[in-house]
Amino acid sequence: MTPIPAINPNLSSIMPNVDMMTPESGSLSTNGIQMPSELAQASSVQPPGDSFSSMLGQLVSDVNNQQAVSAQTVSALQSGQSVPLHHAVIAMEEANVSFQLMVEVRNRLLDSYQEIMRMQV
Amino acid sequence: MIQIISGIQNASAALDAEQTRLDVISQNIANANTTHGVDGKPYQRQLVVFESALQQAVNSDGSLQMPPLQIAKIEKDTSPPIQIYDPGNPDADGNGLVSMPNVNINEEMADLVSASRAYEANLAVVKNSHSMAMETLAIGKG
Repeated sequence: MTPIPAINPNLSSIMPNVDMMTPESGSLSTNGIQMPSELAQASSVQPPGDSFSSMLGQLVSDVNNQQAVSAQTVSALQSGQSVPLHHAVIAMEEANVSFQLMVEVRNRLLDSYQEIMRMQV
Repeated sequence: MIQIISGIQNASAALDAEQTRLDVISQNIANANTTHGVDGKPYQRQLVVFESALQQAVNSDGSLQMPPLQIAKIEKDTSPPIQIYDPGNPDADGNGLVSMPNVNINEEMADLVSASRAYEANLAVVKNSHSMAMETLAIGKG
């Protein structure tokens, strides 16, 4: 099998197949088995900033931003600045939902990884 | 930044607007008996005018997105003050008539109920979007 170039060394050491899950190479479980030539083509065609790992990193930093905004709004409210109450609550809810999204993505990733590890050869 | 909950920007802007409306109504009620304002005249009832922020919503390529609601201006109600006979009042004129603010407390209470219900409606929108997002995240569970 053709080795897949790793974009993020940390992530790829945990999950060597993570680069297969780019939009160009199809979804994880259905189109995961590909001919080596197609696989090599898919990994060479994809632009460097568009890999799944960078997308995941973007998601994590977005969630972090949401958390920071939420903390900032709440502390502004508590220190007596004229922030409406609903702004603080909505910011907290947005942070909560995006965190849940990140946790769900992580759960699905781990599930698929464990599924692959359990595979009988 | 990802837009995790759709429609929440509009609801948030509408909540802002309704909050301002509630503030203005509370100001009107608080000043219902103010016969001597800052300018020496009786307090004039204030009204909130809403508009949709269409100009800001037009993108550079000409495409439209949903315009959020915002407060256009806070106007004064220019109807004449209510004259009551009260010669003992320091603000009474030569005939003993005092100009009271043109605030009708019944109208203000009706506006208060309406603004509070509108606020609740927007809160329901936020609540619904939130529960939709959480339900969506639970796809495939259980």
